[in-house]
Amino acid sequence: MVFFENLAKGFIGIFNAGGATLVGLITGILPTLIVLLTFVNALIALIGEERVLNFAKFATKNIILRYTVFPVLAVFFLTNPMCYSFGKFVEEKQKPAFYDAAVSFVHPILGLFPHANAGELFVWTGIASGILKLGLDIAPLALYYFIVGVIVILIRGIVTETLTKLMWKD
Amino acid sequence: MAEKVVKVSKGKGGWGGPFLLQETETLKIVASITGGGIHPVAKKIADYLGVQAVDGFSTKVEPSQMICAVIDCGGTARCGVYPKFGVKTVDIIATSPSGPLIKYMNEENFVSGVTVNDVIMADGSAPVIVPFVAPASDAKKAEVKPEVKKEAVTKVVEKKKEEAKKEMTNNNQNPFVKAISSIGRAVGGVVGVFYQAGRESIDIVIKNVLPFMAFISMMIGLITVSGLGNVIAEAVKPMSENIIGMVVLSFIAAIPFLSPVLGPGAVIAQVVGVLLGVEIGKGNIAPSMALPALFAINAQVGCDFVPVGLTLGEAEAKTVAIGVPAVLFSRMITGPVSVLIAYAFSFFIYQ
Repeated sequence: MVFFENLAKGFIGIFNAGGATLVGLITGILPTLIVLLTFVNALIALIGEERVLNFAKFATKNIILRYTVFPVLAVFFLTNPMCYSFGKFVEEKQKPAFYDAAVSFVHPILGLFPHANAGELFVWTGIASGILKLGLDIAPLALYYFIVGVIVILIRGIVTETLTKLMWKD
Repeated sequence: MAEKVVKVSKGKGGWGGPFLLQETETLKIVASITGGGIHPVAKKIADYLGVQAVDGFSTKVEPSQMICAVIDCGGTARCGVYPKFGVKTVDIIATSPSGPLIKYMNEENFVSGVTVNDVIMADGSAPVIVPFVAPASDAKKAEVKPEVKKEAVTKVVEKKKEEAKKEMTNNNQNPFVKAISSIGRAVGGVVGVFYQAGRESIDIVIKNVLPFMAFISMMIGLITVSGLGNVIAEAVKPMSENIIGMVVLSFIAAIPFLSPVLGPGAVIAQVVGVLLGVEIGKGNIAPSMALPALFAINAQVGCDFVPVGLTLGEAEAKTVAIGVPAVLFSRMITGPVSVLIAYAFSFFIYQ
């Protein structure tokens, strides 16, 4: 009998612990996220895709800007997955590299701008919650995630562009 | 003269459509229920069809007579009312179906975000515009021959546009009412944008964020209570407490035949992120390792999506064929490199 009681306790215990986690996530993350999403969505709608594009186009000619400023603007304003459509504004051989740069930025941007990929928050939020639990500030992590993200997408863009050109000759 | 059919497509950020509009035995009127006169979109549809555009605020129009209703609804009442009546609805505000009447709205009867540029002749021909004349003077209806030169037609269109604009401003004679309605429209436009932004936010929270939270919560409950957490912690610890383990992890995730499998929806990366977060919270992993970990668990990001992403960028078939392996092989190099860069920066935080 005691065995069954323990079993029942253990069974419901799983879901009590899960429920406590869920409440923590909902009260801890959702309110700010919803308001921030609303603000950024409105901002994007008011600025408009065309204006962003006209501004972003200048960045496609230079190899450094092409894999930093251009994908960052695309991810911020068009968000995952529509940001990849900006690929049509770079040359054919640069498209794989642009995609690589853009897709590699849809997570590093989340610490500062969760609207850009709200459907896949938990790569960032999961790790950040550990930092929060230790009583530390997550702002530095969010900032460095962004900065390192920009450096990484630049490297990815250059490497992938080089590889694409090498394979193109074959 | 051939049957005139107008095609209305959704505008930027809009929803629904495209659908075709044409005059029938019973449907004779383009209703503009936008306040402050006949909206240019309604005017253009009416002109193209050679029918009458009516301001639905000053004149009551029976839904049974409407070819379509042009509205400026940010998404509660009007956008559902006309679809419910079976009237094709053209919303000039980019709204997705919502409100209590949402079940009546579909892509066949509702299109939003429509601007003047989204209204075209269905057969792609240059519109032959016949100004609508009241039925009494029907006999005098000016016929414009189809072989009229294109230039002339464009001129007519230009002229029409100007006239439409003029009409817009002349609609309300009283300048006070005019000012009020234009201010109202501007405020309504901005409010509409924010309201729609809010709706999109709640939408993504309900469709994507909350389901994932539910899944994650159940998993964490299972892991913590069952003691599985300790097993995982033991397994993950050597991988994630030193930089070599992380580099190896990122390299494994970037192997070309594994990376596309690990990618979809970032589910695996998200689960691992949560697990590592729990371990960081318990103190099993140093907080300074959080930054390299973020890159180590995500070297495969987007590898499942390369052909789709390239297609979105309008890449040619050859580019896709070369681009997929190029991205996958590039990751074998840039995955570990990204972890090392993050590791270098990790010395600035949480030391």
